[in-house]
Amino acid sequence: MAIGLNHYLIVSAILFALGIFGIITRKNAIMVLMGLELVLNSANINFIAFSKFGGLNIEGHLAAIFVIILAAAEAAVALAIILNIYQNWRNINVDEIAKMKE
Amino acid sequence: MIDIGANFVSELYKSLGMFIPETVLVVTFVVAIIMDLIFRKYKNIAAFTVLAGFFVTGYTLFACNSSGYAFSQTIAINPFSQFFKFIILLTSIIIVIISFLSKELYAENRKVGEYYSMIAGMTFGMFLICSSTNLILIYLALETMSLSSYVLAGYTKEVKRSSEASLKYVIFGAISSGIMIYGISIIFGLTGSFDLLAINAKIATGNLSIAPLLVSGIMILAGIGYKISAAPFHFWTPDVYEGAPITITAYLSVASKAAGFAVLIRFVLLAFATPISQTQPVWQVFAGIDWKLVLAILSVLTMTLGNLSAIWQTNIKRLLAYSSIAHAGYMLMGLVIMTSAGVLAILVYFFMYMLMNLGAFYIVMLIANKTGSEEMDDYIGIGYRAPILAGCMVVFLLSLTGIPPTAGFIGKLYLFMAVIDARWIWLAVIGVLNSVVSLFYYVKVMRNMFIRGTDKTEEPLQFSRVSIVIALILAGANIYFGLWFEPIVRWVNECVKSLF
Amino acid sequence: MLTDFGIILIFFIVGMVFVAAGLITNMILRPSHPNKVKQSTYECGEEAIGSPWILFNARFYLIALAFLIFEVELLLLFPWAVVFKELGWFAFIAMLIFAFILLLGLFYDWAKGYLDWDKPEPIIPKMKDLVIWNKD
Repeated sequence: MAIGLNHYLIVSAILFALGIFGIITRKNAIMVLMGLELVLNSANINFIAFSKFGGLNIEGHLAAIFVIILAAAEAAVALAIILNIYQNWRNINVDEIAKMKE
Repeated sequence: MIDIGANFVSELYKSLGMFIPETVLVVTFVVAIIMDLIFRKYKNIAAFTVLAGFFVTGYTLFACNSSGYAFSQTIAINPFSQFFKFIILLTSIIIVIISFLSKELYAENRKVGEYYSMIAGMTFGMFLICSSTNLILIYLALETMSLSSYVLAGYTKEVKRSSEASLKYVIFGAISSGIMIYGISIIFGLTGSFDLLAINAKIATGNLSIAPLLVSGIMILAGIGYKISAAPFHFWTPDVYEGAPITITAYLSVASKAAGFAVLIRFVLLAFATPISQTQPVWQVFAGIDWKLVLAILSVLTMTLGNLSAIWQTNIKRLLAYSSIAHAGYMLMGLVIMTSAGVLAILVYFFMYMLMNLGAFYIVMLIANKTGSEEMDDYIGIGYRAPILAGCMVVFLLSLTGIPPTAGFIGKLYLFMAVIDARWIWLAVIGVLNSVVSLFYYVKVMRNMFIRGTDKTEEPLQFSRVSIVIALILAGANIYFGLWFEPIVRWVNECVKSLF
Repeated sequence: MLTDFGIILIFFIVGMVFVAAGLITNMILRPSHPNKVKQSTYECGEEAIGSPWILFNARFYLIALAFLIFEVELLLLFPWAVVFKELGWFAFIAMLIFAFILLLGLFYDWAKGYLDWDKPEPIIPKMKDLVIWNKD
């Protein structure tokens, strides 16, 4: 049994599900961001796997590079915002930061 | 494969020629930051740089008449994208101008250089979205826009409400874009390409399995739907719109929604549908998945949820947030029917929507400057304390409801006509019912301003002459385009033709 | 017949057994006489103060964010460097512009003072506080 496309897809699906699970269950904003990284990386695995096994061209690798860069940029902005939240609220619990609710 | 060589470079040069407005925006962004760093004494130096940059962009946008594909078929320059770029640029200019008058932005001696350069960056992202025909570029551009908007939403960073808004925006936005990129990766695996036209050709063959296509399509729609705040991806809208500075709320509700609609129309029509024939301006969805029904459900959900929730709001920013959700629902109707009349109606509607929504938020900002409140109860008696502004607000609210002779009426007229022409009667009926509901909460604001609390004698509010003139111009435009709308329609007609 | 997974599994098992065997043999052979000095953390001859499980100062995040810019820049520079000769001057200038925009980010941090580690003012003990016998 050689490792084929399906294995990669299953790993990426598991990563995606874990990421979403983390996002939903975690209360700490940093943990939510970690879940997010899992989701983005699961997409990356898909891109690379399709590129390798689908006989497709370099576009998949290109996409993966862009996704990594955007993940970093997004993490930077999100971390900065979370720092600011911490300064204002003295905690980064996503559930507690809810002043605006009807 | 991309071939590297003289050919490639000469194509790049040619592409750069079509990319001038975007290049100008990037230069503006960089120059604004540098200016802000060098001339620290002049607080608004970045603002003026950005404003000048926007005008140059506008000039290049009009001067650039060529249409076609650039950068290895990833960017399409055509009248359709030009239209949305025009809307976005106009909104950006208006936002920069009214930001000068915003009190909350300039409170506590805040540095505003980054604010304006971020607006330039966000405009660049939205320009890219409007013309990209490649899924990766769409994702990249959406993120460019979002990253700036996350920061802008929390720009008044010591205000708790604002920082909360930016946290919610960044977390939900990042999740939705993560889901979108996963959808893109699946569709890449299915069709082997990121190019919308190539995807279209692959789907047209009809031997793709339905389930992954449906899942990936919905995942991508989730990412775009988040930007236009379509239900069920709308839950961030009220909180972010309430918490963000008012100028940014107005900006998000118009410009980022325009970009979202541009990419939504392009994505759905280019990837999932095909024109029935060259002569008939009607698109047909490929067999297998009924995307029209999916979009119709989205549309009905969006407008109904938006309107019904708006009724109970006591904060006017929140009310306008829900109303903008409802408007996104109306505009989605134009996409559901997939005719050129529908797309035309969306574009006309968007032009009118820009005028009325910017106006309404502008008045809210002016009144919040003086009273320091956005609560509906504090609008009691405003009609007597600030009669001119309240009059303008009435125009904007009537326009939002869609009552003649305002611009909003023309938008709704074209939209409902297109929907009825396409025989989606039940959709049109729901749309009209929703408009009636919306009248209720818009009237509530007017009643607060003029009818309730007439016995209170509070001193009139003083506004600077410039701010009143801007309000009058916006209100005048609302009535002007409600009466003389043919030029807009003619222009939009040209734009829609370029979609074929 | 071994599959690809099988090889990995064997590596995994051998690694585990190797480590475990070493530790267990040690445990059996060595004498055991623990005392307080032996169990304390050794840090270059300094006496250990406090718990090692401290929270890092939030200012590290700022440095980390600045670092992130250039870490990710590399990712884009590598593919370019591979085909550097074929692409020629056009790509070189494009990359220069790209690097310039990133550098601008660093300059921005610098000019705004985010790179300064704002130390709290050190409290220098005065002589009169130290000399106790002067007080009475």
